[in-house]
Amino acid sequence: MNSWKTAVAWVGKGMAYAVMGLFSLMTIYPVIWLIYNSFKTNAEFMVDKISLPKEWILSNYVGAWTLGTFDMLIGNSVIFTLVSAVGIVFISVLAGFGFAKMPNKATAPIYGSFVMGILLSITSLMVPLFIQVSQLDRMISDGFHALGMFTGHDVHVFYNTSFGVILIYVGSGLPMAVYLCTEYIKSIPTSLVEAARIDGATYFSIFWRIILPMSTPIATTIAVLNVPGLWNEFALINIMVSDETLKTLPLGILRFNGQRSVDYGKQFAALVIGMAPMLVFYFLFRKQITAGVSGGAVKG
Amino acid sequence: MARAVRNRAETNWAYWSFITPAFVLYLFVFGFPIILSFVLSVSNYGGGKMFGGDPWSLVGLGEYFKLANDSNFWLALKNNIYIVLISVLGQIPLAFVLAYIIFRKIVRWGEGWQAILYVPAIISVIVLGIMWKMIFASNGLLADIINAMDTQTFLTSLNGLLANGLNVTDDFVTKLLAISEPRALTGFTNPLAEIKDLILSNGYTTQNLDVFRSDMVNLLAPKWTPDFLSKQDIAMIPILFVTLWVWTGMYIIMFHANMQKIDTAIIEAARIDGASELQVLSHVIVPNLSGVLANAAILCIAGSLNTFALIWAMTAGGPMNITQVLAIYMFQNAFIGVPNFPLANAISVFIVLFSFILIGLTLLVERRYGGRE
Repeated sequence: MNSWKTAVAWVGKGMAYAVMGLFSLMTIYPVIWLIYNSFKTNAEFMVDKISLPKEWILSNYVGAWTLGTFDMLIGNSVIFTLVSAVGIVFISVLAGFGFAKMPNKATAPIYGSFVMGILLSITSLMVPLFIQVSQLDRMISDGFHALGMFTGHDVHVFYNTSFGVILIYVGSGLPMAVYLCTEYIKSIPTSLVEAARIDGATYFSIFWRIILPMSTPIATTIAVLNVPGLWNEFALINIMVSDETLKTLPLGILRFNGQRSVDYGKQFAALVIGMAPMLVFYFLFRKQITAGVSGGAVKG
Repeated sequence: MARAVRNRAETNWAYWSFITPAFVLYLFVFGFPIILSFVLSVSNYGGGKMFGGDPWSLVGLGEYFKLANDSNFWLALKNNIYIVLISVLGQIPLAFVLAYIIFRKIVRWGEGWQAILYVPAIISVIVLGIMWKMIFASNGLLADIINAMDTQTFLTSLNGLLANGLNVTDDFVTKLLAISEPRALTGFTNPLAEIKDLILSNGYTTQNLDVFRSDMVNLLAPKWTPDFLSKQDIAMIPILFVTLWVWTGMYIIMFHANMQKIDTAIIEAARIDGASELQVLSHVIVPNLSGVLANAAILCIAGSLNTFALIWAMTAGGPMNITQVLAIYMFQNAFIGVPNFPLANAISVFIVLFSFILIGLTLLVERRYGGRE
């Protein structure tokens, strides 16, 4: 009887390992396949897609890098991602302090609207957002032209500018970040704020000296969770910029998606270049990312 | 007294200066666009200057009626519902079971499995979409793997037939035909006689069996060419698979972290009382995590109704609209060809309302059937 039960337990364990192994293999193999095929020649890829390269070549990367203008794309991605992440963190800690520690009748409706906003996806709003941004630019342009300034060309403040992209990126990250910050700052003892107030500190110095330093853990979580989403963002940047010098990595990768493209080597190399930075980021910050995801702070 | 009043005024002033940056940006990115999308969806706005250009006006719900009679819209909605279903009924249960296996330490290296299964979620869906497009292509990796396996099976059977050397009898050819791809035989009027002649006339001998084998593989071995993009519904299979593939790992991490908050004493007590792992799962774990499951379902719905970039990279809604989804249909109406902004905005309003309805239903189900935490 006992040995029968042990046998069943072992079979169950074996099946569990098989299931985990199968799913993990299915998850990771395509990514590894992509990586090793980026080192094959086109001729070899056409004949054999499955095996490892007979000879590992780097020329695909050299070719893809120049063809794809990746230094510019990566530069833009780095700037947009970092500035937006810092913006999201800073603005949401500010708002979180207000919502959590300064009693006000406006908190219920305004904070409530942020929480509702978590359920809104910016993708569904990209058309009205685009219209809003381009119409604002037209009005600003017309205003300047009426004053006799910048005549002869359109003025762009929001559409097709770094400023516009960052503004929209920060805004789209705010609902979740404001929610996380407010709930976190609520847990900081109010007596700390009150004591500082009695000592005559202004709210701004309390923010700099107490709230911001004490919010480092949640600020880190928010930054780490937002970086992959900002880096990989596609839907908005796709409609908000047309200038080649403002394009980011996902837009650049998409150029390698041509039906006619038979240059598999360069295509694979471009895809690997596209995913490598986030794989490194994941390797460095896996613990923090996992902690953030556990709380359900990422939208699928 | 004066000090208290001054204090209150200062608090009020500080409050507004702290929340204004966030609130203004929120209105800019979410608030105004929502209002704008509704206004434009009931207008005849053509895309010119909104103020001071060609006049436009509110004309009513015409665009919504147009959508109701638009077969492309219904197709996009159907495909989108497939994606919602695979997310809510595929990702969540699968992730739950895998998280449970890790949580109960039925397998070791729990953290390692989780780390691997989360990898797709960190990579750009544009990269992943192009990658999977190449895997599912008619000459892609999937076809090569399956054909390599089929060829191997064919060769094993062929070697069985060749155990005693090459001996071209009717019996041999009949057996050969039995292991062949039926479609490869459709070109022959009388396969048995014709293939026998073919083999005999080529002068294969027991000495050059390798040539015979490779010729037979080319001629007769089963060969599969993926053709997902030829039919409605079928065309969604790769997209649904990739959706499942990308996001399941994220829910595993979410569920596993919350399972760890459950008091293990309850589980151990149930196990000692003779409950099986399955009973523990359904009677202890699921009721304890019903809130987390509802949260996951809400995230799934909000995300999958807005799916855009992945499909844009894989099929861009084509060919002939058969992989169309709401967000892409909206995008195409606004940005490709002659823009139809009212219709695009009507779709935008529809996506927002539809996601709130589904989320509301999820909350109702959770309230009605969910466990008490």
